Amino acid sequence: MLGGVPLHRDEIPPGTLYLLILRTLARGGEMHGYEIADSIQRISEDVLQVEEGSLYPALQRMLIKGWVKAKWGVTAGDRRARYYQLTTLGRKQLAVEVSQFERVMRAIARVVQTA
Amino acid sequence: MTFFSELGRRLLMLVRRHQFDRELEEEMRLHQELREQEHLGAGMSAEEAHYTARRHFGNATLTQEKSRDMWGWSWLENAMQDVRYGLRQLRRSPGFTAVAVLTLALGIGANTAIFTLIDAVMLRSLPVANPGQLYRLGDNNNCCVMIGTQNGGSFVLYSYPLYEHLRDDTTDFSEVAAFQPFLSDLSVRRSGVASAAEPYKGEFVSGNYFTMFGVGAIAGRALSSSDDKSGAPPAAVMSYHTWQTHFGGDPSVIGATFTINTVPYTVVGVTPPGFYGDTLRSDPPDFWLPLAADPDRWLFSAEPEWLYLIGRLRPGVAPERVQAQLTGELQQWLGSRPEVIPERDRGDIAKQHIHLTPAPSGVDQMQTDYAAALRLLVTIAALVLLIACANIANLLLARGAADRSASALRLALGAPRARLIRQKLTETILLAVAGGAAGLYVAYAGTRTILLLAFRGAHYIPISPKPSLPVLGFAFFLALVTGVVFGAAPAWIGSRADPADALRGAGRSTGDRTSVVQKPLIILQVAFSIVLLIGAGLVTQSLRNLEYQHFGFVTEGRLIVNIAPSLAGYTPDKLDGLYQRLEEALPRIPRVLSASLSWYSPLGGNNANEGVYIHGKPPDYRWTAPSWDRVGPHYFETIGTRLLRGRAIEERDTPAAQRIAVINETFARRFFPKEDPIGQHLGMGDASHSGDYEIVGIVEDAKYQDTRGPAYATFFLPLLQTPPGEPLRGWVGAIELYVAGKPEDLEPFVRKTVAGIDPNLTILRVQSFAEQVNLNFNQDRLIARLTELFGLLALVLACVGLYGVTAYAVERRTNEIGIRMALGAGRRNVLGLVLGSALTQLGLGLAIGIPAALAGGRLLAGQLYGVKSYDPMILGLAASILAGCAVLAASVPARRATKVDPMVALRQE
Repeated sequence: MLGGVPLHRDEIPPGTLYLLILRTLARGGEMHGYEIADSIQRISEDVLQVEEGSLYPALQRMLIKGWVKAKWGVTAGDRRARYYQLTTLGRKQLAVEVSQFERVMRAIARVVQTA
Repeated sequence: MTFFSELGRRLLMLVRRHQFDRELEEEMRLHQELREQEHLGAGMSAEEAHYTARRHFGNATLTQEKSRDMWGWSWLENAMQDVRYGLRQLRRSPGFTAVAVLTLALGIGANTAIFTLIDAVMLRSLPVANPGQLYRLGDNNNCCVMIGTQNGGSFVLYSYPLYEHLRDDTTDFSEVAAFQPFLSDLSVRRSGVASAAEPYKGEFVSGNYFTMFGVGAIAGRALSSSDDKSGAPPAAVMSYHTWQTHFGGDPSVIGATFTINTVPYTVVGVTPPGFYGDTLRSDPPDFWLPLAADPDRWLFSAEPEWLYLIGRLRPGVAPERVQAQLTGELQQWLGSRPEVIPERDRGDIAKQHIHLTPAPSGVDQMQTDYAAALRLLVTIAALVLLIACANIANLLLARGAADRSASALRLALGAPRARLIRQKLTETILLAVAGGAAGLYVAYAGTRTILLLAFRGAHYIPISPKPSLPVLGFAFFLALVTGVVFGAAPAWIGSRADPADALRGAGRSTGDRTSVVQKPLIILQVAFSIVLLIGAGLVTQSLRNLEYQHFGFVTEGRLIVNIAPSLAGYTPDKLDGLYQRLEEALPRIPRVLSASLSWYSPLGGNNANEGVYIHGKPPDYRWTAPSWDRVGPHYFETIGTRLLRGRAIEERDTPAAQRIAVINETFARRFFPKEDPIGQHLGMGDASHSGDYEIVGIVEDAKYQDTRGPAYATFFLPLLQTPPGEPLRGWVGAIELYVAGKPEDLEPFVRKTVAGIDPNLTILRVQSFAEQVNLNFNQDRLIARLTELFGLLALVLACVGLYGVTAYAVERRTNEIGIRMALGAGRRNVLGLVLGSALTQLGLGLAIGIPAALAGGRLLAGQLYGVKSYDPMILGLAASILAGCAVLAASVPARRATKVDPMVALRQE
């Protein structure tokens, strides 16, 4: 990664934010907000950047829906942070979202590839 | 399942709102700091890292709000915010708030009071089981005893044998009960108690009355069919109200023996509280007695039709089919009973029918009597509320204009217009709800006043002025609607403030959107007010005409005492001695100038009609049967009716003497148009009796029943004179006394004298003749008083409104006035300028209102007495009162305008 201001990044396609967060939590266990955003950024190799303005509202919605649960803990740097964790309901939702996403992607790919 | 856990989480957040906000803020701050560290680590300077992180974070407040919005409670939070802000605003201007809440309380309260009455009289059903199953055999309230065919063929009164026949033969009713259409006077004394007999009201009902209604006793038991058999021990049921107020709820009453009209009854039970019988009326029955105990055995033969019937239809049965079946049974019955329908009327049998009407409220006497009055009151109250709304709308508009810069600022800072409107509407709804709550007080007081006015002379009315649940709901709903109605326009107008315009400074322009709305409102207010004032004037004048008309008797200085000798066990043979003793003793009471006895007195609620046969003339069926009364010596002079010719009934008219009669002018005109009535003969019953009584005198016309129409043709017979073989019809029911000084003062002396003659002779009522007559005008008085009250209210509101609008205009145009005065305008010109606009509004209001009043007056014309609905004097008086008060109201701010110092005005922005 270059030092300085990050380069232009692509927007996260609408509707996939929940999918990304769920998947990240499924992989990472317990993470706080920054870690989730960071993880998405790293694994997507800087292509996808989650804005805080979208991340936190999304996390709140997932709390309402019961897909994640949160508890307060302490970071490595001895700071208080809220850690999110996937619930059983969240795992089910992840499976649903993944299959939906793959179906849509395959369809798009077919349309694009057909010359 | 997940829905509920989600709802649970949302509710939890609502409770823990503050904790939520803090945690979110902390969480987001950490995120920003970690980003900052990341940038530092990537090699930026501390400052750059900080700002980059901040910029990246974006609008923190917005993010927080969006996160909070996810939980779905933002609408509630906004509403709470609006309410708190509205309350603050209202507290800041206490004068305005007080006036507005008071105005609304009066308007909403008046409407709620009338709705309470409508609910109790029109909407509520009887407090019995399943009132929807109750049906009345009949469709009108003709009373009280009929023979043969009935008016229009519609049977509403039934003889006892006919009742039994219908009851036993119609299986579609689970029960059919019979009861008297009117209440009987009872003389009641508890056995073993030394006190004198007291007057009460009672109703004779069939044994299955309570079973039919599905009403059980709250203590003891109700009447049953076994009580209604001849020979059964007489049983009575007491009403809850009587039990509580006259016997203190004493449980020993149940099972005790009471002597009712000289017959010993056992009180077997008490009805539940709230049960008042089959008809909503003032002074409902104190006792219910079985029909079999009624001493008048004639009532149980086939001829007299005197019972109302109500039955409970079995579920699932079609009323039309039952109605047809009942009509068939009726016609069959009438055809087979020649003693009921004489030969000459047999052709009418086919027209007789039974109309089955739903009767969830029982007999709807009160509904019929008061329907027109209630409709009028609803209209008036609605008008007053509209005027009140217009007033407050004007006040709000003025306030909104004053607030304009604040609104402009808010709009400039980005508040959505809808939010601003919602805020203002919330404020007005708060006002309306406060007004509605205060209005409940007004409604309670108003309902009580109306009940007292409408039922003057009654001891107990089974209508509660306390607001019931439907009434509370109505008041709340009305308050909301009112708030939206008068708040919508000002809120909308207030939100259209152009930010730049307001910030630049208002007051320079002379045109103004606010006054465009204010002026029509004032015009409408003036129009409504003049309608109400004219209405009040007409109704008041009508009442005065009714109360001070020439009745044909004199009420001043007269006392009327109602007695009932039959209730004390008197029989016709013992009456002569009683009447004689009364006639001797009464004139000896100090201050009594003259005393007399009669069957009934004028306008006391009684009237008897009977077909009359004139000797030597064929029967004249053109006219309705004349009225008649039995009177004793000195009757006409005691009540102040003038004797025109011949002689009145005197002491010499004993049962043994020649039988005579006295007639009134209308009788003479109608039956003897071309000859001298004195010396002619008349009789009742049939043509063979036409020579029974000789006419010896003519008295002036007097009104005995109908206060509005002309007097009936009336003839008077002496107290005890009957043709040989004929039973006595009509006993003494009234004692009239002509006294010096106040009539009511004599009551204790009269009671003592009567008790001295016979302690068991129950006195039913003692009141002055004036009061007795006045009770006939209860409804008219009610309407007059309320219309006057509402008219006054409308007047005050209209003047306050005009004052407010003019004051606002003056304040807005202070600048302009200053300029005009600086340029040479004098005081008079300024006065003319300000008043001119006010007078225009007044004039337009009158121009709209007076034609509307004339049109509305036509609807009222039927109820007015002696007053035309377009009476020019009343019109003129109302208009000048309104105009005078309005000009006065507008001149106060107008004079203030003339005192404006031009320099001060010009300097003011």
